[in-house]
Amino acid sequence: MFINWALQEINLKIVYYGPGMSGKTTNLEYIHSKLDPSLTGELVTLKTKEDRTIFFDFMQIEVGRIKGKKPKFNLYTVPGQVYYASSRKIILNGVDGIVFVADSQRDRMEGNIETLLDLENNLLASGFSLETFPWVVQYNKRDLPNAESAAVLQKKLNFFNVPQFEGVAINGVGVFDTLKSVINLVIQNVQRQL
Amino acid sequence: MVQVKKLKDGSRQVILTAQQFDEITKVLTELAAKTKASTILLADISGQLITQRGNTEDINTAILSALAASDFAATSEMAKLVGEDAKFKLLFHEGEKRNVYLSNIGDNFFLVVVFDVSVTLGLVRIYTKKAIHSLLQVFEESEQSEDSSKIIDKDFSSMLGDMLDDSFK
Repeated sequence: MFINWALQEINLKIVYYGPGMSGKTTNLEYIHSKLDPSLTGELVTLKTKEDRTIFFDFMQIEVGRIKGKKPKFNLYTVPGQVYYASSRKIILNGVDGIVFVADSQRDRMEGNIETLLDLENNLLASGFSLETFPWVVQYNKRDLPNAESAAVLQKKLNFFNVPQFEGVAINGVGVFDTLKSVINLVIQNVQRQL
Repeated sequence: MVQVKKLKDGSRQVILTAQQFDEITKVLTELAAKTKASTILLADISGQLITQRGNTEDINTAILSALAASDFAATSEMAKLVGEDAKFKLLFHEGEKRNVYLSNIGDNFFLVVVFDVSVTLGLVRIYTKKAIHSLLQVFEESEQSEDSSKIIDKDFSSMLGDMLDDSFK
């Protein structure tokens, strides 16, 4: 979190984390397409030719002034592919809240678990832990025929019982609920620690 | 001193007072005048833009600082890989029309100076070094810190919730 008293700005950093092709960029694209252009900046995506995020996607959202203060949300995604491990670590720098975008497809379960462990390791390296850090989980791609049941996903991935959402990010299902929930958690967390 | 607090859950909170902000603006204005830099940004290592000087209308500076932070972070990983114990202190990108000079300020902040190729690099280096020295002093100055509990209270979170609902319709 970065507070600038001169400009009365509160800046928060939210990172979308998850395995490759789970729909992290799709979440941001949907938010960008639906928000009033006056509230959101450009969506920058650094993609490979194959449409994979190579470094990160970035977008800033503003919601106007609240009691004179101007909250700004900086949304980032990380590249999901295993070999971009150091990019992921870098993007977690200064993070305030995390959305874990899981791929609901049955054969992607291992990828989800692996990435969640990778997230926990990266957080531990910076002195955080998933147990106390503000994060939510989105079970994406609920519309696919080989989607695992929500109960199984819940049991295997949500061991700290954080807020969870079922999503079809490509159609926007669950996208705003997820974002709102993580913002709330971050704000609550800030209040608790002041 | 710029408050960089480590919170209980491990997250980092950076708070800049109005007075520090004014002093920083002064240093950057002088740097812009001396180097004829087209754009100058001061950002925090998480990619958060703090302030900017010069021509910033044609450039999305929020994105530029996010990219510059990653640039920095990527090169410090590179430093580790090649066996350099300290982080690289500065980065220089040379273009045909514009050059970009990035330099860190202590552990938590960095400066981005965008300048025309007609300006010599030496000049930019000298004045940037001087500016960094002044900025470090501003960051170190102890003064009464402002109370961040005043900024986010109960009302704030419920009002934010309403505004998010409005925006996310």
